[in-house]
Amino acid sequence: MMDRQLVEEVTRMVVERMGEKKPEARARLWIHNDKAPSYKAVGQEREEEEVGGKAKLSPFPKTEKSPSSRTEETEEDSGDLKELIKKTSARIGVGRAGVRPKTKTWLKFRYDHAAAVDAVFGQVDGSLLETLDLFTVRTKVTDQDTYIRRPDYGRRLSEEGEEKVRDACRKRPSVQIIVSDGLSSKAVDENLEDVYLSLNQSLEALGIETGTPFYIDKGRVAVMDHVGEILEPDVVCLLVGERPGLVSAESMSAYLCYRPRIGTIESERQVVSNIHRGGTPPVEAGAYLGSVIEKILDYGASGVELVKKEG
Amino acid sequence: MGGTEVILSAGIDIGTSTTKIVISRLSLRNTAGQTHMPRIEITDTEVIYESPIFRTPLKGDTSIDMAQVEDLISREYKNAGVEPGDIQTGAVIITGETATKSNAREMIDRLSAHAGEFLVATAGPDLEGIIAAKGSGAYALSRKTNKTVANIDIGGGTANTAVYKHGNLLGTCTLHVGGKLVEFENGTVSYTAPAVDQLAEEHNWNLEKGESISREILKELAGCMEKAVTGMLKGTMKESPLLIGQPPEWKEDIDIIMFSGGVAECIYNEENCKEKGMYDDIGTTLAEVLRNSSELGGFEWRVPDETVRATVLGAGTQTTEISGSTIQVDEGTLPLRNIPVAEFRFSGEWKEDMDRLDNFLEQALTLYDPEREGNAFAVYFDDIPLLGFKTIQELGDRLAELYSKYHINTPLIIVMERDLAKSLGQSLHIRHKEMEIVCIDQIRVENGDYIDVSTPLNSEVVPVVIKTLTFHGGEEE
Repeated sequence: MMDRQLVEEVTRMVVERMGEKKPEARARLWIHNDKAPSYKAVGQEREEEEVGGKAKLSPFPKTEKSPSSRTEETEEDSGDLKELIKKTSARIGVGRAGVRPKTKTWLKFRYDHAAAVDAVFGQVDGSLLETLDLFTVRTKVTDQDTYIRRPDYGRRLSEEGEEKVRDACRKRPSVQIIVSDGLSSKAVDENLEDVYLSLNQSLEALGIETGTPFYIDKGRVAVMDHVGEILEPDVVCLLVGERPGLVSAESMSAYLCYRPRIGTIESERQVVSNIHRGGTPPVEAGAYLGSVIEKILDYGASGVELVKKEG
Repeated sequence: MGGTEVILSAGIDIGTSTTKIVISRLSLRNTAGQTHMPRIEITDTEVIYESPIFRTPLKGDTSIDMAQVEDLISREYKNAGVEPGDIQTGAVIITGETATKSNAREMIDRLSAHAGEFLVATAGPDLEGIIAAKGSGAYALSRKTNKTVANIDIGGGTANTAVYKHGNLLGTCTLHVGGKLVEFENGTVSYTAPAVDQLAEEHNWNLEKGESISREILKELAGCMEKAVTGMLKGTMKESPLLIGQPPEWKEDIDIIMFSGGVAECIYNEENCKEKGMYDDIGTTLAEVLRNSSELGGFEWRVPDETVRATVLGAGTQTTEISGSTIQVDEGTLPLRNIPVAEFRFSGEWKEDMDRLDNFLEQALTLYDPEREGNAFAVYFDDIPLLGFKTIQELGDRLAELYSKYHINTPLIIVMERDLAKSLGQSLHIRHKEMEIVCIDQIRVENGDYIDVSTPLNSEVVPVVIKTLTFHGGEEE
């Protein structure tokens, strides 16, 4: 057993030495609980967007900024950073906490990801379809897993769907409008009403007649070929939910094709994409689509063919 | 959809001392991806003709000799090989003291008739500074770097400064600093501007007409001007007899300075300038003082792309904006000229906004067409929310209702920044067939601006020139 006095002596010596001077570190380490971190979290100034959804966040105590001349520099830097942030919807300049993203950033990311997943697996609001007077048919897809695994099933109407379309729809219209959830039911929920009504108004103004519109559950883009085969319209316009991403899970596309039939190649299709509140406004897209359809009818071609004919 | 469209643009700069013309070719292209709605932008500008620098023809001290200016322009059009009818856009800029000379406004009207069916803009000093900064390359430089760039355009009568960062205008300022504020003839003073007279009185300088020139006094006067420029750039300026209008309003420190205008030519190319002896005025002295200023030496200096021709180049290549490609216009109504802008700001409370429209239109009418002579005005929808189909129709119906309530029989002209013009225009067109409609988007204007809207191009967009018609001095009214 060591002498108690000796222990105290050694302890005091050690403490004194430690106080004298800190050993110089060879590598600069960031100490996560250091009160005055030498790094600065870029984008501290960025206003944190409220994370959507139901998760409630308790406010975090704000860290004091170091009261040195660096403050001004930080503000200037963040001014430049803001310019960069404006140019992209990517998650840049969001700061960090140690090696991880900040909690808010992380939750926002998780929320957006979850929204994307929900959009793929969700169902379109039935009352919306009712209001717009769209009846529903199915593709050969029976459940969502099959939809993901067998894209070819999403490209054909089911037998009863085909029959229903034959019975209920006017044949050989100039324009056949169809709607499908595709990969985002949310896109349909959010944008369909405005795009659809605006498109109809624009076609009416141009004096272009339309057929009997309907909704296709779990369809893929090329399902328009099957519809073209059955109803033989001049132009099919398919309003379909786009594959969701982390920026928007509710983006819609309008696919247009001149006389699509089974076997139509992709280059003959034409698309107006990015229709959502953060992209092309839905009502404006609808108004614009009318003039695109007019052009397709005028030239009797769509997609690459149309570009060629236009010269 | 795929190709490039080319339009011809004219820039005419009628300054206090010199007049220049440039003709340029603007190329327009769809810059949006194939799967997006088209977005037409000016992708290239190429100057195809530059006139020599002419003395601005004046009649006496106060008025521009219009007949001579018109001759000059038609001669230069011939030299360039263009007909007035070929010009689709562009701007006439009446700058500096010329703008305050008595017949500037009349001039604008006459030129718009003679120089082609193109758009005519006139400059107040703010717009002039902005246009010069675009022509000199200061604006482009600010977009490329993260530096704050000031362009100081020193012409005959005024120095117009515009400050840019990241391509955003931070502010403008105008000073009575220019080459022709003191003029000589055969070694004696032949003209001094009122602002100089005031300074002369303060400092007891003898600058009476007919007095022989004193180098010392000129240097002192140029020194005063240099101080005004420095004070303006550093934000330390308060009251000064040389300040016109507002003191500088930007808060950022300026990193880079550039000079353009006639005096700038003498700042950067000293030899060139002295040889010519073109300017019999204080310009060369001022250039010398500015060049050797230790205070100005504290800023980073950059040589501009253009000095004397910065404004005319800016006018010819940078004043035209292109509307969105999805718009609704009645072609018979276009072109429109000198349309005042009344701004309606949406508050976010839809019902309230719809109610407020009534009052707003009544006021706009009182302001822009009090005698009901059929003077059109444009409504600018600021902060317009993202509207759905039904709200768009409601807005259209409301506008139509109010236009008929007040018996407004001029075209309904709507401008907005948000991409909603086609849907609103279409709704109006279908539901109110009797109305003449011009509804354009992706254009940003402000209350009190004036706009010119040209006829649609093949790519279905319309060129728009936004201008500020503030003539300084007020004596021309």
